[in-house]
Amino acid sequence: MQEEKILSDEEIEILQEIMNISFGKSAADLADVIDTHVVLSVPFIKIMQVPDLPAYFKDHVKEYKTISIVEQKFWGRFKGDALLVFSSGAGRELIKMLQHETKTGFESDPIDILERETLMEVGNILIGACVGKLAELLKDVVTYTPPMVVVERDYSDAIAENRYDPDNTAIVLKTDFCFDEGDVSGFLFLITSNDSVSWMKEALRLFIEQYE
Amino acid sequence: MIFNQIFDAINIGLVILDRDLKVQKWNRWMEVHSGITEEKIIGSPIFETFPNLNNPKFQRSCKSVFSFGNFGFFSQKLHHYLFPFKSTSYFESTFEYMQQNCVMGPLRDENNFIQNLFIYIQDVTEVAVYEHKLVELNLKDGLTGIFNRRYFEVKLREEFGRCKRYGGELSLVMFDIDFFKKVNDGYGHQCGDFVLKSVSSRISSIIRNVDYLFRYGGEEFCCMLPETKFDGAMQAAERFRNAVMEMENNFNQAIIKITISLGVAGLNDEVGSAEVFIQKADEALYRAKREGRNRVMPMS
Repeated sequence: MQEEKILSDEEIEILQEIMNISFGKSAADLADVIDTHVVLSVPFIKIMQVPDLPAYFKDHVKEYKTISIVEQKFWGRFKGDALLVFSSGAGRELIKMLQHETKTGFESDPIDILERETLMEVGNILIGACVGKLAELLKDVVTYTPPMVVVERDYSDAIAENRYDPDNTAIVLKTDFCFDEGDVSGFLFLITSNDSVSWMKEALRLFIEQYE
Repeated sequence: MIFNQIFDAINIGLVILDRDLKVQKWNRWMEVHSGITEEKIIGSPIFETFPNLNNPKFQRSCKSVFSFGNFGFFSQKLHHYLFPFKSTSYFESTFEYMQQNCVMGPLRDENNFIQNLFIYIQDVTEVAVYEHKLVELNLKDGLTGIFNRRYFEVKLREEFGRCKRYGGELSLVMFDIDFFKKVNDGYGHQCGDFVLKSVSSRISSIIRNVDYLFRYGGEEFCCMLPETKFDGAMQAAERFRNAVMEMENNFNQAIIKITISLGVAGLNDEVGSAEVFIQKADEALYRAKREGRNRVMPMS
């Protein structure tokens, strides 16, 4: 781990501000796309060693007991992993919220397929909105892999222990969200690694320059 | 120029829409599978030709592409297809339409403004057919074509859990062919197989769409009746018994008459687990055997 690759306090502060702005914009546009207001908390930034990640996630989501996770990778110059963790029962709540206007599922599809579909769709939109706006402010364009979903799993075994490169440093951006309608809440974690750090430092510098 | 050639040579469908969702590009793959030429469709709203796309999910995806530069994913597993094209493969019997994996994403102009969106379409019918067959092999009994013992256990746990959580009725009818060994010994195993198939298909034809028929083992079967009270299940069992008794099983010019014995169990507070539930039905079935066969017995 090289000292200069980690963000300084000032850089973290700028990033925090950029996320505030971008998530504010996302929330407004999300209301237009999914017809309900999503409240996104002030994002929190933490830098940690990759092996500490699973324990960090678990600590945050343990009150939910069972969780559903939507995962998507994004890549541009800003790249990493987005994990959207929904509280238990979110899938069914979201189906209810969206159902009055949609019936894309087939009659024979069991509820769990509909649940997966709904979680993936909402997850994809929410992740894209947050990552997209953030990248936009930093003058980057990102692409995404298809979302993957884990439905209603016990929080302690939903997160694998050894899936990330242990030699990496992770920048974890965390925000909590809740929907105005229905009882749905959760966390969004964006995990980005060393690879993005030098670009991010430069992007943050350029961003702040326009105001100086 | 070169890109245009790739666009038409590639073995996937490519469509470009503008912000009003009017078609801007329609590659040769799309022409071949839709039977609509690019010339004809260009400039027209996509919903005009494909009204099935005019649904909230598709519209939300388009909106999120234009507002966030998002990607939208329409997997075959969940959506089967976006564009209803007749399947061109040899596997038409499984799916009426070509099974597709589709992805939608943004196209930016030189100022990074999202002017258009693209959709690409992959034909995944063949893979979907294999998957369908594998799933079926896993759930069904090879001889009779009805569900197998393994699926019975999965389904029973599921239904049992659902009833315990949300309330609701659930009944089981276990039954067994009387003197099946005599059929095998007297007419051969082929005849035994024939009888198993006949009974399976006869019972399948008289149960409701929501009921499940499983081959539990050897000549033993189980029918699961969701949302059915014990009394209703007793009546159903009686219908099964009569239907089998009336069957004329014609095997190599020999008429083989058979009967079945049945045990019925209904879910109540005393039934604490799926295992106990099976046991109750099984005990009733053995009482039916002991008391002379060709009869329905209720759980005790």
